[in-house]
Formats: sequence, structure tokens, C-alpha cells
Amino acid sequence: MQYMLLIYESEAQALRRSQSEQGKLVQSFMTFTQNLVSSGKMRGGDRLERSTTATTVRVHNGKTTAIDGPFAETKEQLGGYYIVEAGDLDEAIAIAARIPSAELGSIEVRPVMQIPK
Amino acid sequence: MQYMLLLYESEATAAKRSQAEQAEIHRRFMALNQDLSSAGKRVGGSPLERSSTATTVRARDGKTLTTDGPFAETKEQLGGYWIIEAADLKEAIALAARVPTAESGCVEVRPVMKIPG
Repeated sequence: MQYMLLIYESEAQALRRSQSEQGKLVQSFMTFTQNLVSSGKMRGGDRLERSTTATTVRVHNGKTTAIDGPFAETKEQLGGYYIVEAGDLDEAIAIAARIPSAELGSIEVRPVMQIPK
Repeated sequence: MQYMLLLYESEATAAKRSQAEQAEIHRRFMALNQDLSSAGKRVGGSPLERSSTATTVRARDGKTLTTDGPFAETKEQLGGYWIIEAADLKEAIALAARVPTAESGCVEVRPVMKIPG
């Protein structure tokens, strides 16, 4: 079963980190990702540019409106995601809890829809 | 350049669609997915299970805290995503506008961070 782990952290808080704190966090993420790959549970993932680079698109009567900024203004912002393979929700939660940002922000765990072939 | 398209739509609105309307939306999604693949612009993506299946995870002081439900309660809910290849934001917005639920909800377009190396 695949799960999407959506990583939310306050960008304001992230900006306050010193260069060495940021370096340590990046290192922790690299170690976490490497472990995920080694365990065969990594299916995908990306880091995203800051939420200020987001554009929200809607189409009404054939007309496209594009508004600067993310869909929702939240205290913590989406910064990236992983797609992981896990036996069940408990395992997905255990993996989510090991994401370095789980200690600083929040991780949303969502089952990926299984498409019948 | 890669962009993440985050698809938001009111699950309540979606639940009110007739079977025929739902089938038409599904057909348009499959067609767009096929078009993106054929054009070499589809990097990844998947629909997600309903937001009521989400669990939000935080790790604090070595303890894992979980709460049922998505990270943020919003009027429209995340229902899926695509990672696409686009030359620039303008092209990414044009592709986002072709997402069937851009007409009933919205699509957040976020640049994927390029990781050096």
C-alpha cells in the first residue's frame, strides 16, 4: 500500500535556523531518505520551493485565473513530500514520525488511491 | 523545470455529482494523464484517498502524536497531484488549467526544488 507523506513546517521558523542548524537538518533528511531507499520503501518524493512561489489556478466559464500564493494560508506550509510503501497505516505513521521535520512541524499521512489495472 | 500540481476540490461537491458526471470527469482525467505522458511531461502523480482517511503526525520530545484528519481543515480538500515537466510557470499554469477539477475547485502550482548533484 502506498502513502503520501506531506511535510508541513513554518517557513518563518525555518528562516530563523542558523546555517549550521540548517546543515544538520539537511544531513538528517539525506540520512532519512537514504534509509528509506535502502529499505525498499521509497517510491518518490520532492522538495518544493517556498510557498510564496505558488500560483493557484481556477477556471471559470473557460477563463483561467491565476492568483499568486498557495491554495490555503496556513501557519505551517507544505515544503515537500514522500511517497512510501508501507504494510499499513501504523507503519506509514512510524515512517512519518522519523522525518526530521516531524519534530518541527507536521506530517500529513494520506493513502494513495489504488487504481485498478 | 518540474512543477507540482496540487488538486483541490470540495469533497462535498464531488459527492453530489451524478454517476454520469463522475464518469465524464474520470474520462477527462484519464485523457489528460495520457496527453501528459505522450508529451513526455508527466513525471509522476496519483489520486489520493479522501481527506477523512488522513492522519497528521507530529514527533515531540521523542513521542509520536497522531490526530485523525488532514493537516488543515479547508473548504476544498487535496484529492491528488501531478509532477509535471514544463518550460516555465506560464506553461505549468496552462497545463493546470486543463485539469478537469480546475473548473470545480483549484490547482496549486508549485515549483519543485532542483537538488544539486
